[in-house]
Amino acid sequence: MALVLVSILLPIAAAALLLLLPRPSISPRTSSIARIVGTVVAAITVATVLAGGTSDWSVRWLSRPFAAAFHFGATPVSFWIALLLTICTTCAIAVCRTPRARDFVALLLALEGTMLGLFLARDLLVFALFWDLMLVPVFFALLRWGEHPATAWRYFIYNFAGGLTLLLATAAFGIIYGSTDVIGSGGAPLVGAWAPWIYAGFAVAFLVKTPVWPVHTWMPPTYSGLPAPMVAVVSAVQSKAGLYGFIVIALTLLPAYVHEYGVQLMVLGSISLIYGAVIALVQSDVKRIVAYSSLSHLGLIIIAVASGNRLALSGALVYIVAHGLFSAALFLLLGFIEEREETRALLRLGGLGWANPRLAGALCIAALAALGLPGLAGFAGELVILIGVYQAGYIWPVIVALVAIVLASAYVLRLYQDVMNGPSREDLPVRLDLTWLEGLAVAPLLAALVVVGVYPKPILTAGDIPAAPSVSQR
Amino acid sequence: MTHALGVSGSYPMVVALWLLPLAGAVICWVFGPQLRSIAGWLGSGLVGASFVLAALSWGAGTQRAGGLVGADQPMFSWMPGFDFGLLLDPLSLLWTFIITGVGLLIVFYSIGYMEGDRAFARFFAYMSFFVFAMLTLVLSDNFIGLLVGWGLVGLASYFLIGFWFERPTAVAAARKAFVINVVGDVGMMFAIFVIVTHVHSIGFGDAFAATGSLSAGLLFTICLALFIGAAAKSAQVPLHTWLPDAMEGPTPVSALIHAATMVTAGVYLIARCAPFWSASHEAQLLVGSVGAVTALVGAILGTAQWDIKRILAYSTMSQIGYMIMGVGVGAYEAGIAQFFTHAFFKAQLFLGAGLVIHALSNEQDIRRMGGLWKKMPFAFWVMLTGVLSICGIPGFSGFFSKDEVIYGALQHGHPWLDAIGVITAGITAYYMFRLLFIAFLGEYRGDAHIHTGGPRAWIMNVPVAILVLPTVAIGGALLFGGDASPWAHFFGPLFAAQEHVAGSVNRAPALSENLTALLVLVVVAIGIVIAWQRYASDAAQRDATARLERETASMPAILTNLFYFDAVIDAIFVRPAQFLGTFFGRIFDPRVIDGAVREVVYVTRSLGTLVRSFQTGLLRAYALILVFGVACFIAYYAVVGVTR
Repeated sequence: MALVLVSILLPIAAAALLLLLPRPSISPRTSSIARIVGTVVAAITVATVLAGGTSDWSVRWLSRPFAAAFHFGATPVSFWIALLLTICTTCAIAVCRTPRARDFVALLLALEGTMLGLFLARDLLVFALFWDLMLVPVFFALLRWGEHPATAWRYFIYNFAGGLTLLLATAAFGIIYGSTDVIGSGGAPLVGAWAPWIYAGFAVAFLVKTPVWPVHTWMPPTYSGLPAPMVAVVSAVQSKAGLYGFIVIALTLLPAYVHEYGVQLMVLGSISLIYGAVIALVQSDVKRIVAYSSLSHLGLIIIAVASGNRLALSGALVYIVAHGLFSAALFLLLGFIEEREETRALLRLGGLGWANPRLAGALCIAALAALGLPGLAGFAGELVILIGVYQAGYIWPVIVALVAIVLASAYVLRLYQDVMNGPSREDLPVRLDLTWLEGLAVAPLLAALVVVGVYPKPILTAGDIPAAPSVSQR
Repeated sequence: MTHALGVSGSYPMVVALWLLPLAGAVICWVFGPQLRSIAGWLGSGLVGASFVLAALSWGAGTQRAGGLVGADQPMFSWMPGFDFGLLLDPLSLLWTFIITGVGLLIVFYSIGYMEGDRAFARFFAYMSFFVFAMLTLVLSDNFIGLLVGWGLVGLASYFLIGFWFERPTAVAAARKAFVINVVGDVGMMFAIFVIVTHVHSIGFGDAFAATGSLSAGLLFTICLALFIGAAAKSAQVPLHTWLPDAMEGPTPVSALIHAATMVTAGVYLIARCAPFWSASHEAQLLVGSVGAVTALVGAILGTAQWDIKRILAYSTMSQIGYMIMGVGVGAYEAGIAQFFTHAFFKAQLFLGAGLVIHALSNEQDIRRMGGLWKKMPFAFWVMLTGVLSICGIPGFSGFFSKDEVIYGALQHGHPWLDAIGVITAGITAYYMFRLLFIAFLGEYRGDAHIHTGGPRAWIMNVPVAILVLPTVAIGGALLFGGDASPWAHFFGPLFAAQEHVAGSVNRAPALSENLTALLVLVVVAIGIVIAWQRYASDAAQRDATARLERETASMPAILTNLFYFDAVIDAIFVRPAQFLGTFFGRIFDPRVIDGAVREVVYVTRSLGTLVRSFQTGLLRAYALILVFGVACFIAYYAVVGVTR
């Protein structure tokens, strides 16, 4: 069996097994067994993704009304995202101490499997199927561990509505195009009267998922409500599903419309950039600060997509990886802090740096990557994206993005300093500094931030980045 | 086709001198608790090794071959056009000497100054990291490498300003310094976008080779964007407000980062990009004017300060204004000379101030000093030579460089900037002697016990004593002799082309150089006399405490509020951003956007409560149903799809 299939099915099977175990599984021992099993399974998926390379697996599914196949395989773009996903999941499961870890680990594994299915799918219909499936674990986690069930429903309704337009667009695409086995296979673009509507269907789903202003309001409560290990994976990777869709689907199969509505897309991206940044500036919940910073950061990738410039898209892939790494690290570390200090309120936190030098050091590196410190991965992505956008002739979004970078330095430092610096607070419980396990779990993410920041070449030259031909000429 | 600036080749010593301080930083950071006091020796040892390697690389850095000057070591590439490497030419060699040489003295001094601090090792990790970052900045042969160094020195500066991070003022100062420096970083990023778009390369050589093909508007845009970076880093008006606050850091940090090296990065940038500036007269006028205004504003604000480090901070700002004015108008060698001598005398002044602050248990207010020359004669002589040098007293190093800068403005056709330079020199003499007189003459007015000496006092005294030599003599040794001086010989090949392009040299008659020097001397003398009258004469000494109190009370509001720069920046940028954030987060998101989908939310709310009542214990059932459903779905289509 192809390795690519193993990557997808293994975590799903492990999740199912864990869930189907009989009831007395709530004991702490079962929780730690679940954690160990989960970590091992996730680590194996890292290996299978790495070893899988260009492995490809396909079984014919439909022939009418259009050809579809269970077709999986990594493209150079999805390879990096799949690697990011499996590494983040491994790190997240290793440190989850959520009550009833068994169910939680199962949901995380299910999330990993369904998202691997999404990113490794080479067939649009399979992509759309996994799009909806990957919502389910998050939805249940929100219901179970979230602060309010309305958050879960809001998450589900927003994203499921997006999933619906995606499915309709996929069906229409299949009927007109004749086949949905098209991801990363270099087929000719779709044209015709229906094409703009199909693009609209895709774009709505992608924009809601990313998210982009003004369809972002499901995101902050979702991110602050989810337990840290899961929100690490969701913000690191699930938020990239829409951007991935834009890059491998919209820009390859419907490039003319991405270009035609490029300015609108760029406006939405620019508003998200500034809007997320100024709200992050004044938020008092540490997780919400990172949530709104995500809105801002991902707006930059939307701008890169809208520019259609090849350089910008290469940078976008670097930035996708970078944002995944630093947002996962940030959420994990903020989760550790929340566990220790029993609060997420910035006003209640402060002065943790003296007692927790390791935690402070790790949070510092993640925070610096988030504010785009030159030399770390976020900067490499930002810089190359903006060079590309400028080359494509769009100057005002570049200036908006530069303003957002300044704002980012302000809100990220506010987050870091108000947690770690200042006088020690008497009213905070004094707990252990970062443990070895926790350190090991964030170390790969932080190391990758440095490596990608210094040497992003392998990701920059991932190769099959498409570019709308009419735009790249500029 | 790529154009290198230096002779391409393999220079392992350059790579080693660049990476050694990084190794020191990592070791001190990771093994800090284990290293304890060894960290200081390790840090200075590795910076010293860097200095030795820089000296050994002299030949490589000054070599000439076919129009190329210096050594270029290619490192790695991101993609075509994005090639990274190290460049050691006379310009970066000079900066490398100052960074590692003065850096070594200051890091060594810190072993004494920081003794007993609970984060002793972390301090040396940050200092070594700074040296590495600054070397990255000056040794890069391309704009992105430069920007990486640019950002990393900002980070090191942030770490060290906020080194005592339990102090809220230090934390706030660190954040302010970082954010303002990011404003500069994004300016430089914009310049890079323009350059890469039009030159298709990030290399200095390619960019400068293409200068002729860029339109005047583009060149001005590039210079303006680069200058935003230079202004933020080098504390030029109006981006200077972080520098005085940065004095929250330990004094050796102020000496190394906020006086001798990092804040002069803007001078380096403009000198490095001389081909751009010389091709854009508008940029020259703009930058020269901003430099002159900064020199004047810094000097005026320096007269109204009471904190010894803040006086030195404003004098740094003012002196960098001179440097920027020099390189801005095209007098590159003069501006760099001012950087060179300033690095010594300002480091010496800060370290001398550090001796005082250390002896007085962190007292920094000169009103609570006085009479220190009897109790700390060594510190007094150190400060005196530093003050004489910064005021440009003939014979001292500062005299030669300041003279060159002020006259350079005239020479390149800017009599107004020349005039501002002369006036500023007088104000400089006033506030520096004011500092010296209030702190060292008269009677001791403080209540802190003065503790000097001790068996380890030499650790702090020796580096300061070594600095006195260049402060007094290096200007005369290197700068004397105009075009025949060793200085002109060293930089001749680098800037000869630009002087040609500019074509505006020597507009002024030869007599005016001596006239300018004479004028400067006269205003300096006036400044010193006024300072003497107000602070050192017998009348002033008699009731010094009361007089200083009166002066504090009668200080004009515009000076105590520092020309309202902070207030204006706060009102224009900070508050509106916070207001918008609150408005979007509290009103727009929940009311406007969610209001539009309120019906949906109501539905979900009721559904939510409904579900919560069912949910307990049903997760497994949901999961089973879901898995089963998906399995059926897949099985159905798998079978049907395949058989059709």
